[in-house]
Amino acid sequence: MDIFANLWLGASTAFMPMNLFYGFIGCLLGTAIGVLPGLGPTATIAMLLPITFGLPPESALIMLAGIFYGAQYGGSTTAVLINLPGESSSVVTAIDGYQMARNGRAGAALATAALGSFFAGSVATILLAVAAPPLAAVALNFGPAEYFSLMVLGLVASVALASGSLLKAFAMIVFGLILGTVGTDVESGTPRYVFDIPELYDGLNFVAVSMGIFGICEILRNLESEHERSVGVKRVTGLMLTKEEFKRIIAPVLRGTALGSFLGVLPGGGAMLASFASYAVEKRVSPNRAEFGKGAIEGVAAPESANNAGAQTSFIPMLTLGIPGNPVMALMVGAMIIQGITPGPNVISDEPELFWGMIVSMWSGNLMLVILNLPLIGLWVRMLTVPYHLLFPAIIGFCCIGAYSINNSVFDVFVMAGFSVIGFALSKMRFEPAPLLLGFILGPMLEENLRRAMLISQGDPSIFVRSPLSLSLLIFAVVVLALVLSPSISRKREEAFTE
Amino acid sequence: MLKIRNGRDFVGGVTMICVGLLFIWFGRELQVGNSFQMGPGYFPTMLSLLLMLIGALIIVQSLMVETEESGPEAWNWKAYFLVILAPVGFGLLLAGLGLAPTMFLLIVGVATASRYANWRHSILLALFLAVCSVVLFTKLLSLPVSAFGPWIPFIGDLF
Repeated sequence: MDIFANLWLGASTAFMPMNLFYGFIGCLLGTAIGVLPGLGPTATIAMLLPITFGLPPESALIMLAGIFYGAQYGGSTTAVLINLPGESSSVVTAIDGYQMARNGRAGAALATAALGSFFAGSVATILLAVAAPPLAAVALNFGPAEYFSLMVLGLVASVALASGSLLKAFAMIVFGLILGTVGTDVESGTPRYVFDIPELYDGLNFVAVSMGIFGICEILRNLESEHERSVGVKRVTGLMLTKEEFKRIIAPVLRGTALGSFLGVLPGGGAMLASFASYAVEKRVSPNRAEFGKGAIEGVAAPESANNAGAQTSFIPMLTLGIPGNPVMALMVGAMIIQGITPGPNVISDEPELFWGMIVSMWSGNLMLVILNLPLIGLWVRMLTVPYHLLFPAIIGFCCIGAYSINNSVFDVFVMAGFSVIGFALSKMRFEPAPLLLGFILGPMLEENLRRAMLISQGDPSIFVRSPLSLSLLIFAVVVLALVLSPSISRKREEAFTE
Repeated sequence: MLKIRNGRDFVGGVTMICVGLLFIWFGRELQVGNSFQMGPGYFPTMLSLLLMLIGALIIVQSLMVETEESGPEAWNWKAYFLVILAPVGFGLLLAGLGLAPTMFLLIVGVATASRYANWRHSILLALFLAVCSVVLFTKLLSLPVSAFGPWIPFIGDLF
């Protein structure tokens, strides 16, 4: 079997002491930062990206992936213990998790989250290993027209699944695409929007941009409504589940894993959508639905499995097609480009160690999280008591050095400052920053493929509908758009996001 | 009678139109070309037009759809000013002062943005982070920036 040989190759990369070490550091940092409220995974990864520049590509990506699912995990710990979700995908976990903690079952809730996450992570990893190679093989036959249509579909779907106003999300995508054109035009060598600034000839740096619109911008918003947190943490006792509790979580974990794996693959999907959807499903189908909101263990098991599965499978489009579905994956694409790897279907054949190493490291990372985090809960809780007025200056300091270290130039620090202003102004007008980053990353690829396709067809736009594959991708995009715009669905969508 | 029912969206739509105009203006010398041979200006110009169209739609929507007004927002101008100026100051001072003093000043300065800040904590935190950043970035990751820059001649010579 091919897959076992591949996984073996991956294991021999992922279990190299150095990669295990960086995976471990990534999980640890990710959890620590996931625990801290007011710093989401996107900002975290943007902030920590510069320290991975000096590492070999495998170690760098393994560490970044570790940060990502570590953050996922850390967020749920605080959700359970102090009813404060560390990040958006654990918002629903807080509902029942915190009630369980109040009933003295904090340990059981945390153990459920850990076990559910680990199970879901393992399943999603296998899914990734099985689904990625055939998908990449299909993608290898893609011409520029197909790529263009695929990216259009990705962008449309990411808008459809995001929260907030559709029009505004589209505006952000287009704005991001325009920002992506800053720099030297690859085909003609003409500088665009560079204003004779030499640093701009390579374009705006995406790390600086995302640190500005996610990292610094979050601080600005947090400082607006600053209040001291009083942390009353329950002592965590009894990590063991009772036999009856164990029986109760089996079905929700399975359902959460299935739903999360599916939603994670969709563009714009990923962990947050997965956790919300699975909680809503559980609330309908569970035999104990009366207990929901009062500390039902199913209300922890399902969303925690779903968000971990979703986080893992959102790597599938990124690794096989080179198309990021959410801002975190956009940062991973950026990290790969910095490491000199072109994301896309060629990664599997050109960089098998990297590809399979990353997949196996996801599994080993999940295992580390389970082994590490349950005993370390005391430490995470203590981190929560660090007051915000000491935390945010450190974050700003770290962002400044991080931006500087990208090219060893202060220009990127100014770019970061500029984008924090832009991001903040946009958020005041209720524009979401996530689609902007997606557009920004996809912009150059979209333009390149559009121009190539038009060159092949000699300026005839019908090339996008003549290829059956491209046509079906575009039809799919239109269907998604129509579905979201139809009144009944848009009402449901609003309900789903307000719930 | 047209009435602005959603002020925030109205401003948002106008902003998007202005952004589109800005990019068209600054890109006016780029060759647009035609759909067969797209020039460097084709893609950005088309996108700017699209952005202006979306901006116009947002404006129309803001005139038609009523929103429930959320409460007045807290504006914290002192915090905005400090947090946004901090990286700029960092960028301007880094080459001259070196990493350690710049980091120290950055932390002490930006910490005052919080209403819970107190000087003793800020200074201790700043000292701690200045030392950490020098150890991590100039020593371990060997970033090409010295701990003390040319503006501080005597201590700088010691490192």
